[in-house]
Amino acid sequence: MQVNILEFWPRILQAINETLIMVGVSLVVAALIGIPLGIALVVTRQGGLLQNNAFFKGLSVVINFFRSIPFIILLVAILPLTRFLVGTSIGTAAAVVPLVLFSGPYIARLVESSLLEVKPGVVEAAEAMGASPWQIILRVYVPEALSSIVLNLTIATIGLVGASAMAGFVGGGGLGDLAIAYGYQRFETDIMIVTVLLLVLIVQIVQTLGNVLSKKMRRQ
Amino acid sequence: MIQFENVSKVYEHNGKELRAVDGVDISIEKGEIFGVIGFSGAGKSTLVRLVNLLEQPSGGNILVEGEDLSRLSKPGLRKMRKRIGMIFQHFNLLESKTVLHNVAFPLIISGTPKKKIKARVEEVLDFVGLTDKAHQYPEELSGGQKQRVGIARALITSPDILLCDEATSALDPETTKSILQLLKRVRDEYNLTILMITHEMNAVREVCDRVAVMENGRVIEQGSIFELFSNPQHPTTKNFIQSVMESDIPPSILSGIEERGGGRHVYRVTFVREKAAQPIFSQVAKNYQVEVNVLFGQITELQGIPFGQLVVELLGEDREIVRALDYIQRTVSVQEVEADAG
Repeated sequence: MQVNILEFWPRILQAINETLIMVGVSLVVAALIGIPLGIALVVTRQGGLLQNNAFFKGLSVVINFFRSIPFIILLVAILPLTRFLVGTSIGTAAAVVPLVLFSGPYIARLVESSLLEVKPGVVEAAEAMGASPWQIILRVYVPEALSSIVLNLTIATIGLVGASAMAGFVGGGGLGDLAIAYGYQRFETDIMIVTVLLLVLIVQIVQTLGNVLSKKMRRQ
Repeated sequence: MIQFENVSKVYEHNGKELRAVDGVDISIEKGEIFGVIGFSGAGKSTLVRLVNLLEQPSGGNILVEGEDLSRLSKPGLRKMRKRIGMIFQHFNLLESKTVLHNVAFPLIISGTPKKKIKARVEEVLDFVGLTDKAHQYPEELSGGQKQRVGIARALITSPDILLCDEATSALDPETTKSILQLLKRVRDEYNLTILMITHEMNAVREVCDRVAVMENGRVIEQGSIFELFSNPQHPTTKNFIQSVMESDIPPSILSGIEERGGGRHVYRVTFVREKAAQPIFSQVAKNYQVEVNVLFGQITELQGIPFGQLVVELLGEDREIVRALDYIQRTVSVQEVEADAG
């Protein structure tokens, strides 16, 4: 049984909307968690501004732990937590919880690597000027690494687009859900092709925007 | 102004102790440009970082204007650091910010009102000659211009002390000269005390009043530039001086001496101060039965004082030569040169 793409179009639009919401909300929450954790990883490490070996090692282990669980398993494993946090374990809102747990630690690592690119000499110069650790974080580390952070967040966003497709598993909806439900399970190849093309398009747009924004951030 | 009293810094590395700075005693006066010279690994980079406590000393005391920074609270230390400017070999500017923002940075973090910052930035940029570059980014500037930005940034808080960490080592000779002249102007106009570390004897000769030579964490010799150049004691010091004063006799001249079967009466004569201007050798030639053959020489200026070295060969009978030497030694310092050793 074939579906007419044009008749099906409203359903596709809704799926695009769901994908964008899932990715957008997860990205914002994950960044709010991941960026401070990334900063913490850099400043608490050996020789860092606020060196704290125990904290650094503990945080590192926790981040590695979450990063080692495959997303599809994380999705199911934390269903009780999801139910506790958003009141339900199905739907778009429910998909945000595992997506955040998946990409927050990932963003922490990405931000860490961006901040490590900041030349130690620049940090030392700020210290020599009498800047406090907070001033160095906000006025040296972040602005100097911003261009690289933006590029890395673009990578994280594209990762989220991919992961959000799997979130269809918990009824999260979105383009991935559509592709699986119609294209894969009901052999409607044209729906499959359209959704995949749309995902390709989203990824291209995200990457282009990321590149442009990153370039802008090189000179503030 | 800055006093090092038996200061040492020990690093632990794989259970081994590394003495980066070892029992250093230096006293730097107000308004002085003090140089610390040494090869890489001599401990000079660590030494300069002990002044503003970027490195914590393992022993001894460092007093800055009589104050021991290691006894200050963290906010107290930050406040003190604002009175100590620092410039670096690789400039360490914020690449993402304009020249203007970079120079303003120390005032921004002190919470200075914007209007005041703007006026002060204009002042220091004018001083370093970069007024027209205010809205450019560091990557658009040459090395010398970047260091000028570094200097402007260090001066903006009107510090009492300027620390220079290999400030000219990444620059070409021409630019080095202009940056050194700028540092001299900084001292002359603001009466700053400057501590500069370097491995270039040229930089030291150009601007320093006094210098300490470091090796293996220790100060092996210190004194005025003049004392050091005219009478170096330690082999390392001599090495550094040789890097700017061609005091080795070129091989072509040496082999010339050997060919003539001479070389028995070759001397290195060091002139200092007004003696550099005295016609000693023409007097020798007139008063003794000796001929003077100048093989090699160089006369330069140190701290505005003439300073020179000549390698001469004295020809004549041994007895006359001894008498002539005796005469020369009354006015200047003389050292015999071995033909094979140079």
